[in-house]
Formats: sequence, structure tokens, C-alpha cells
Amino acid sequence: MAEAAKEIPKPLPEITPVNQPFWDGAKAGKLMMQRCKDCQSWVFCPRPICVECNSGDLEWVQLSGRGKVFSFTVIREVVGQALRGFAPDIPYVTAWVDLDEGPRFCSNIIGCPIEKVHIDMPVQVVFEDSGEGITLPKFKPC
Amino acid sequence: MALNYLSRNQERKFFMSIRGKTAIAGIGETPTDRLGSKPGEPRKSTAEYLAWAARLAMEDAGLTKKDFDSQGLAAIYTTNHSQPFWPEEVAAILGITPGVSLAGGNGGASSVSLLGHAAATITAGLCDLVLVIAAAAPFSEHGGRRGEPADTRDYEMPFGVMGPNCKISFVMSRYMHESGMTEDHFGKIAVTGRYHASLNPNAYLRKPTTIEDYKKSRLISDPIRLFDCVMPANGGKAYIMASAERAKSMRKPPVYLLGWGECNNASYGPRYRANPLITGITQAGKRAFDMAGVSHKDIRCLNLYDDYIPIVMLQIEDLGFCGKNDKAFFEKTDFTFKGDLPIQTSGGMINCGQPSTTGGMLHVLETVRQIRGEGGERQVPNIKFGISTGVGAVNYGKNFGCTAAAILGSEA
Repeated sequence: MAEAAKEIPKPLPEITPVNQPFWDGAKAGKLMMQRCKDCQSWVFCPRPICVECNSGDLEWVQLSGRGKVFSFTVIREVVGQALRGFAPDIPYVTAWVDLDEGPRFCSNIIGCPIEKVHIDMPVQVVFEDSGEGITLPKFKPC
Repeated sequence: MALNYLSRNQERKFFMSIRGKTAIAGIGETPTDRLGSKPGEPRKSTAEYLAWAARLAMEDAGLTKKDFDSQGLAAIYTTNHSQPFWPEEVAAILGITPGVSLAGGNGGASSVSLLGHAAATITAGLCDLVLVIAAAAPFSEHGGRRGEPADTRDYEMPFGVMGPNCKISFVMSRYMHESGMTEDHFGKIAVTGRYHASLNPNAYLRKPTTIEDYKKSRLISDPIRLFDCVMPANGGKAYIMASAERAKSMRKPPVYLLGWGECNNASYGPRYRANPLITGITQAGKRAFDMAGVSHKDIRCLNLYDDYIPIVMLQIEDLGFCGKNDKAFFEKTDFTFKGDLPIQTSGGMINCGQPSTTGGMLHVLETVRQIRGEGGERQVPNIKFGISTGVGAVNYGKNFGCTAAAILGSEA
């Protein structure tokens, strides 16, 4: 069962002109997000305009990659055909990481037993090559 | 430059009130089932549930299909059978020639959102009847691949985020952390819903449960357990809105729309890091109360969108029936139909089943039944006013994108 499931691909992001700098950054080992040059607000997920002040003047900025677990869950069941590729990984941790600079990022906590993960746990980004030309920013305790 | 993040949450005054201008004049609900979940089972298509729900609503209102030509038709998009011309396909299935075509694109909030949209359409004089309808058969008919918002596709699914189960687990986990709510608090709400379901012949899960049963139900996505989750099902639901004038001469007593509010893409705090424990129901509910001019103690029945148990509790808080993180309130309040603050008197979607976006209409239909006095064994005594809510779409890093609230009553 698990062997067969391994052959099912996992969903990957669609690279678009709006989000490409994020994924190019991840491939280069950098966590990049947009910040508005007019109102200084962070903007994530990537957008063509500032969702706070409507400015078109956004810049891509590298973040430290440090943050804290704001909330998390342990995934114990696959839901939906599109996500069957994750079956061999169960149980695993998905989390909202609140980055030190401000933005919230949804990712996985890895390199840590699942029962050790807790809210407010300090974490640091690590970059994981999906093997399909996409690098995913994940987080480990620090 | 400091931004005032609260500016988007300020009060908005309506230019013209739709209070009491329209009423629900008919309701229809097919039984829910899970036919097609096992191979070889007899099954029904989405179109059959749709036509069945429409017929039940028309019979309830004392109307026929012909009454709906040149009137309003509002079809709700479903997640399992989504094609861009769905409202027209619904008209074609039913054999109606609408003069106004509305659509529900707010997911689980659509049924409550459309109460306001239909009322505004009628009040503006474009028609004096609107049939609001939804059906879905996720087990028996596969309508093709569903699309996902780009944020979900690009920034959640690649990390193995299992849809709403996972995202609401983030909310629930944080809620427990900040409020100190425990399995006993969530279990109480779950048990109350099931108790009401045991008294509702239209419910699907009807065997009474205990808080111990809740605690023993399996973890799906910690801390969310099986008994926290809504259950997919097949089914159809419909309601008919009419001008207050027309509703008065129809078969059933009118149930008036007295207050309504909607709030979409709410963000309590910066959009990149909002507070996920406050929902747009805060704004939607405030507007509904302001329009209706009723107080919290007038509301004798709350039928709240319940994709997950903790979401019911956040909405009770956001509607102002208690404070945020008010553990003591949840401990002392009797939420049963005979109690202090009856909630989920139908048993809720969690026990009646969720035929995709059709599911949320349950909460409109149940408030109508209670106000009409058709609640049977679970009838709330002395009820004049009730509130129904809907929520839909879980936005990235937050909670619900779409939220709506409506106050219904027996008097305009």
C-alpha cells in the first residue's frame, strides 16, 4: 500500500509571474517576500499590488527565516484525491509559522519528533528540494 | 507609516433597509444520504436532488413551477459539480425561465448571503419571488476536477495541507492555547447537536452520544476529532423568498427577513498575520442586529454554520452572546432546545450531513421551521426570532473568507 502510494506525485505550486521571485528565492536558499515601499506593510501570499494601501510599488525582501510556531496540527488522514501522494508521510506536522519580521507562513515542521512540536516553539527555515524543480521552505527547531 | 487595520472593520450604514420587506414562504429539504459511497449501490444524480428539493419547496409554498417564470432563480455553486454556467443548467434542469438569475458563489455562506441578495432584488422591484436552491451528490456523481484558489494551490497543498480539516485545526489549536477550552467544552457542543439530531427525523446521525464518545472519536488532524467534523453527503435544499405583501397571502405563515449582514475577506489585524480567532461573523452579525433592531435576549434559536465544532463556539462569541474565550459561559449555558440559549436545533450539518455548499442551507431552513412552530419534538418554546449564519472558504493564514448572518422573525 505504502509502496504504491509513493508513486503518486505530490501537488506542486504553479509558478506565475506574480509568485516567481518567491520560488526562485527558495531555490537559491532564500526566503523572499514582498514589502510595500509606500506603507512598509508585508504582503503575502504574493500579490500584484499592496493589499493594504493599493500601491503598485512592492519590493522583494529576504527574510531571516526565523520565527515561532503560531499554531500547528498533526495530519493523520489523507483527504481528497489530489493529496494522496502524502499518504506515506503520515503522521506529519503542518504549521503556521509567524516569522520574526511579521508575516505568517504555512509550512511543515521537520527534523523534530511530532510530539515535541508546540506553540511558540522557535524555528528556522530549511530548504527542501522536491526533486521536481521546486524547492519548498520548511522549518526545523532552533 | 502606521496603518489602521481596524478601518476595514468599521460599521457600514445601509442606504435603504430591507428589514421586513421580504419573507421566506416555502422550504424544501430532501433526506441526505451517502448513496454511491459503496460500489453497486443505487444512486441519484445531482439533478434529481435538485428537482426534488424544488418540488418540496414549491409544495410548501403552495406554488407551481410556472409561478417562477420571469421571477428570480438563485443557484448555489457546488464544489463537486462546478461549471461556470451552473445557474443556467439549474434553470434547464428545472424547466424554469427566470427573469433574474442570481448565483451563490460564497461557498457555505451562500444560503445566508442569498437571503440578502434575494431580498434586495425583490425590494428593488425586479421580481417578487426568488427560488434559492442547491444540491450536490458528491458520492454518486463526480462532476469533474475541482479548482482551488491560487493561495491554496501554491502555498498550502505543496506542504500537505489537507483542506479545511487542517486549516481549522490551526484555528482550534490556537483557540485552545489562548482560551484554555478543553475537549469537555467542545464535547458539550457536539453532544448537544447530536441530542437535537436524535429528535429530528431529517437528521442522518441520530444516535445520542456522550462527551466520552467525543473524546474517544479518532483524531483526524490534531486537535480535530471525527466528532468535530461535518460529514459529506448527497442531498438538495431550497427556499422561496417572496415580497412581504405576497407572502402574507400564501400557504404558510411568512417568516420575515429582519436583519442581514455579510462580510467577506475579513482580516482582524494585518492581512499578512491576522487574528484567526475572530471571524467576519463579528461584522455580519453586528449589521444583522442593527438592521433587525432586536436584542440578543430576543433571539431564541441560533443555527450556526458548523463545518467544525470550534467554529460554532467562535461564532457564539463573535455574535456577542458571550465574550471572547468565555469558558465559564460555555460551561454554564444550557444549549438545548429547552435551555438558556438553544443552538443547532436541527442537529446541525455535523449530524444532518453536508452535501457540499448545499449543507449550509440547513441553518436557514431550521430557523424557519422553529419560527413556524414546525420543530416537532425539538420545538423551541415561545420563539419569535432566530439567527442563522453561514461561512465559507478558509483563507490563507486566517479563518473564513465568506461570512453572513441573518435574523428571521414571525413579525415584520
